[in-house]
Amino acid sequence: MRDLREGLPESRGGDEIKSVWFVLLCCRAEVITGLSEEIAMKEFMTGNHAVAHAVVLCRTPLIAAYPITPQTAIYEKLSEWEASGILKGIMMRTESEHSAMASCIAASLTGVRTFTATSSQGLALMHEMLHFAAGCRTPVVMANVNRLLAAPWGFWADQLDSLSQRDTGWIQFYCENGQEALDSVIQAYKIAEQVYLPAMVSLEAFFVSHFMEPVDVPEQEEVDRFLPAIHLPHKFDIEKPGFLVPVVSSELYRKYRHMAQTSMDSVKEVALRADLEFKEIFGRGYGIVETVMMDDAEVVIVTAGSITSTARVAVKILREKGYRVGLLKIRLFRPFPAEALQKALGGKRKIAVIDRNNSMGSGGIFCQELRAALVHSPDRPVTFSYIAGIGGTDVTPEVIQKIVFDAMGRDEPEEKPIWVMEE
Amino acid sequence: MNIPTDSLCELVIPISYGSTAVIETGKWGFQKPDTNLLTAPCQEACPAGINIPEVLYFISEGRKDEALFSMLMENPFPGACGRACFHPCEANCIRAQYDESVSIQALEKYVSDRASVQIEKIQPIANESAKRIAVVGGGPSGLSCAYFLSLLGHRVTIFEAKREPGGVLRWGVPEYRLPKSILRKEIRRILSLPIEMKTGVRVGRDIPFEDLDHFDAIFLSPGAGLNPSLGIEGEGLKKVWKGGEFLERINSKEKVILGKETLVVGGGNTAIDVARSALRLGSQVTLAYRRTRNEMPAIRDEIHEAEEEGVRFEFLVQPVKIHPGKKKRLAVKFQRMKLGGPDATGRSRALPVKGEFLTLETDGLITAVGERVELAWVPKPFVKNDLIGLNPSPRVFAGGDAVDQPRTIVTAIAAGKKAAISMDLSLRGNSDKALLSRIRAGKKGSLSMASYLSMREGEKWLEPKGVATYQQMNPIYFKASHRVKIRKRSRAKSLKKFSEVNMGLRPEEARLSAQRCFSCGTCNYCYNCYFFCPEGAVSLDPFLKTRTVDFDHCKGCGTCAKACPRAVVEMR
Amino acid sequence: MASSVQELNLLRPGHAACAGCGLAIGMKLVLEVMGPRTVAVIVPSCEGAIGGVYPNTSYGVPTFHSAFEIAAPTAAGIANGLKIQGRDDIQVLAFAGDGGTFDIGLQSLSGVAKNNDDILYVCLDNEAYMNTGIQVSSATPSYAWTNTTPEGNPRRKKNIMEIMAAHYNPYSATATIGYPRDLQQKITKAKGIRGTKFIHLLVPCPTGWRTPSDISPELSILAVETNVFPLYEVEEGRKYTINHEPRRLPVQAYLLKQGRFKHLGEEQIRQVQRDVDEEWEKLKHRASLQG
Ligand SMILES: Cc1cc2nc3c(=O)[nH]c(=O)nc-3n(C[C@H](O)[C@H](O)[C@H](O)COP(=O)(O)OP(=O)(O)OC[C@H]3O[C@@H](n4cnc5c(N)ncnc54)[C@H](O)[C@@H]3O)c2cc1C
Ligand code: SF4
Repeated sequence: MRDLREGLPESRGGDEIKSVWFVLLCCRAEVITGLSEEIAMKEFMTGNHAVAHAVVLCRTPLIAAYPITPQTAIYEKLSEWEASGILKGIMMRTESEHSAMASCIAASLTGVRTFTATSSQGLALMHEMLHFAAGCRTPVVMANVNRLLAAPWGFWADQLDSLSQRDTGWIQFYCENGQEALDSVIQAYKIAEQVYLPAMVSLEAFFVSHFMEPVDVPEQEEVDRFLPAIHLPHKFDIEKPGFLVPVVSSELYRKYRHMAQTSMDSVKEVALRADLEFKEIFGRGYGIVETVMMDDAEVVIVTAGSITSTARVAVKILREKGYRVGLLKIRLFRPFPAEALQKALGGKRKIAVIDRNNSMGSGGIFCQELRAALVHSPDRPVTFSYIAGIGGTDVTPEVIQKIVFDAMGRDEPEEKPIWVMEE
Repeated sequence: MNIPTDSLCELVIPISYGSTAVIETGKWGFQKPDTNLLTAPCQEACPAGINIPEVLYFISEGRKDEALFSMLMENPFPGACGRACFHPCEANCIRAQYDESVSIQALEKYVSDRASVQIEKIQPIANESAKRIAVVGGGPSGLSCAYFLSLLGHRVTIFEAKREPGGVLRWGVPEYRLPKSILRKEIRRILSLPIEMKTGVRVGRDIPFEDLDHFDAIFLSPGAGLNPSLGIEGEGLKKVWKGGEFLERINSKEKVILGKETLVVGGGNTAIDVARSALRLGSQVTLAYRRTRNEMPAIRDEIHEAEEEGVRFEFLVQPVKIHPGKKKRLAVKFQRMKLGGPDATGRSRALPVKGEFLTLETDGLITAVGERVELAWVPKPFVKNDLIGLNPSPRVFAGGDAVDQPRTIVTAIAAGKKAAISMDLSLRGNSDKALLSRIRAGKKGSLSMASYLSMREGEKWLEPKGVATYQQMNPIYFKASHRVKIRKRSRAKSLKKFSEVNMGLRPEEARLSAQRCFSCGTCNYCYNCYFFCPEGAVSLDPFLKTRTVDFDHCKGCGTCAKACPRAVVEMR
Repeated sequence: MASSVQELNLLRPGHAACAGCGLAIGMKLVLEVMGPRTVAVIVPSCEGAIGGVYPNTSYGVPTFHSAFEIAAPTAAGIANGLKIQGRDDIQVLAFAGDGGTFDIGLQSLSGVAKNNDDILYVCLDNEAYMNTGIQVSSATPSYAWTNTTPEGNPRRKKNIMEIMAAHYNPYSATATIGYPRDLQQKITKAKGIRGTKFIHLLVPCPTGWRTPSDISPELSILAVETNVFPLYEVEEGRKYTINHEPRRLPVQAYLLKQGRFKHLGEEQIRQVQRDVDEEWEKLKHRASLQG
């Protein structure tokens, strides 16, 4: 039963109705798993639980965290494993996310692997430290459970929290489900530790964080094979005392920013290589973008995160109905995989980008980035921006079908985002 | 732009590995600290010119041997002076203006008694010279002169009339104040230098004065060994003794028997010594003096201790006649006196009160009314006002009680030192009298042997820029404290024997006492300037005795100068 | 005092502190005792200015220039990172100013103290935001002039030691540069204790206190001797020990030496004296509670 309770969101204020809905979801999962935690190969677990597994498999010895719904389960699970000895290392129970990140950066600079998890307000509070982590070139890995930002208050899925940190210099992954979250955390360490940049793995509130699915938890030896020991060139050394991150001249600031950018650029390739290697060992891979039924697609749906799963269903239905619809999932958001997108989308007629986020005064962030990436492609498609699922509202296969039809029905390009306001 | 990176790590983030020491922040300032040396007023007041701050610094650091060496540089008698000196140093101690003076004398005694390696033997400092010098009189003055001359490489012969050297220290000052073992040790140490000591040779009786002609220079220090009489009727009676002789008999371990009551006449050190010795021989003692306690020339503490031990005082009386009393006793008639205006020395005159007399009966009377110089053997031209002249001929110098100077041990020592330096200068053909003023410790005439040696060796030495004053000190760095009360043997115990009354300081007491020294004008490595320099520009080495400032980085804030409690650092 | 200690020079000369800077004196004295097996954390403040501009630094131990409000969790992160690697021989030292401790860093310091992470936290208290040009902080004493309290600070200085004591951390102590041996003894003692150690180090600032450049140590002594800043330690939040019996000079002796207090009227001075006396009685009472 513990797993079930762990899966429940903390009941806070207006949370009630959603909780009920959620309990149903979990119950469904429970029926399937038959309450078993230890079935061979695949286990039923929530996305949060999957992330916690990844952290232990990566042998991360230092975790600093602070509770926030709906991330708390990661923190609790790791604490539980720390208490039982499964997790070997130190859990720093800091008094804020800001301090959690500060501690991760600092510990990372001693040369150890670090982890934290947070969500929405917590991530926003970390903001200053996010820049700092990237500037210090510390390969901190963080799981962020995408949750809307107040106000008004709410606990539901929305990607604005992590997307509004896009300029902090973090590598960002968006995951579709628990398995991908687990795998992405492992990959994130591998990538981050090669380029000395921090990496954030985002999973949406409840849809991923609390949804129970069968997850393949890899073998420790295999993870060890995939992920070598961390090695940082820039760490504290009492034999050779240095002053880390001093005040620098303008030119030098520019130089280090530029060097970081170069490293960030290389992430696309490093990530692809890591994913290939991962696939070799674990038999699964994701790429940095994924395309589904794109060859003859007239309309391509572009998604990131859990809406992708729904979109897969919608595409299937639409195809069955004879519509030539394809799907593209953006997994790596920072660095933005512009080349991969240009290649995949070049020659397509229409694109419908579904954003579970909105940059006020501009629009869906994935769409903006995509448009910018395609702006110089000679055969660029017409791109429509749909804001759907904001605040955790449901994006059902029907909603996606409607979006596709809407896009099909438009002949004139539409600059402004189209809000999907389904009840 | 070419950015210097001396490490691979810096390919990731900037890390400063260089030192800011390459930045000459010293250019910011417009003033710089300078090391000063001021003479401490205690050193100035010490006729022997002991570098008291230095000695006390060594003691506070537990470096007793160095403390002793420092004292021996200026005074061969720290053991005697640590006990019997009238310690003008303490009267001039700046700390007295803050709380209480430092226990300098007790510390001097402490060091001379407790230096861990007893420094028994010493070597001349300067190269051997061919010059031979005669010293007449082996008291503190003569021994000191010989000591310093010998340190300076000269060959000295001392002629001493008595069977043992030491003068008053040997035959006068009693055992309970200055144990003879201590005195012998100090004399042995002096004589470990190449000094020829001829005891039992009285110049003028055993050898003629002219025999000294073949010496290159002569120092006359015969002291004032004659005990004058009172010049009154009845002095020839039995049981009337002279103080000097009385003390000499005691110091010769002769058996001296006194009656139940003894009357002592006089007010100087001899009188007090006689009175306290008489107490120890079991007598009840009354001391009669013609002025009052304030005018007594004896050392204050001695008067006080005598009183504590039970000596009674009868002031403002002067004996006029002694006659036999009842039961083989003596009856002494005194004229009552009163104080008048000051005399030439500033002391109140004693004037008779017409018609008022007092008669005291006693079992014995000891007179101690001053000492005179025996001059019969001294060439007439050298004599001046019943004394010997200071520098009666170019080759002849004189000092101690035999010349016109205060009759104290330390002035006798100082005279010996001054003569030694003067002789050294003239024997080396240096007639620059101004030199003496450069090696003075302060303005009161004390000479520093340490400075003289540096000057003689042509070394650079820090010349003091005046005498320190309380106003120059920064008392915020001092914590008020009391002098340590020195342990004394109980009255009952002291009176039974002649053993030393003053038991001296314990090591911890000595350390605390020495730490009380402000070290006025002399660096005692309190480390304030080092601690408080925000630039880390000050380095100190107490062993090399250096204090250096890194001017490339000193911003001239003035903190070190202000934080020096003892005015050693000054901004220029 | 061996001269070899001086050669270590862990706060190297050539730094950019103002002439007569009490904070530089404090850092120097602390680092001297910490020794080379130390990793230090500094935060944006005068410490940053003192640290020097790339490629040179005044810090002789590996030092990390972290962000303003996180000296403590940064140090704790380093300490735990080192602990994981078995480097128990290295001590972690956090330096933060009064702004970084009393104000913006208070929460994170509290978090670390609550976890009792193994760090030594030294608050270099110069009683205002000096690096940004003298603005009031909650460590600024009553009536003191700053650029943001031109009429004098209307509020009393926050009692950070009581806040720390309320965490029951193993060791907190006040210290000031005027008593370098006391300070260094406390650092030595703190080095021997595992857990969160806190030193409240008062460091006079000639620039912000409007004082001559040569009296920082003296002011620091006067602060103690007037009881404005008593020297004491608190162990485990309950055992109070007064380390120095003050001379109890009137507060004027301290206040009137500083330009920032020169506008004080008699009543204000009396008020400061009353506050000081009251705090002292409280402190004495606490110290008397254990035998
Ligand atoms: C009883 C007493 C107590 C004193 N107490 C103190 C005191 O507590 N503190 C203090 O500061 N001062 C004291 N004084 C004074 C102090 O002792 C003298 O000032 C000091 O001893 C003088 O030293 P000096 O070498 O000149 O003479 P002396 O000590 O008198 O030595 C002279 C030496 O010369 C010898 N001599 C004399 N004539 C000849 C000669 N023709 N040939 C060869 N040798 C000769 C003598 O035998 C004697 O050994 C005291 C004096 C007396 C008498
Ligand atoms: S304090 Fe020390 S140096 Fe100063 S006068 Fe007194 S004894 Fe001499």
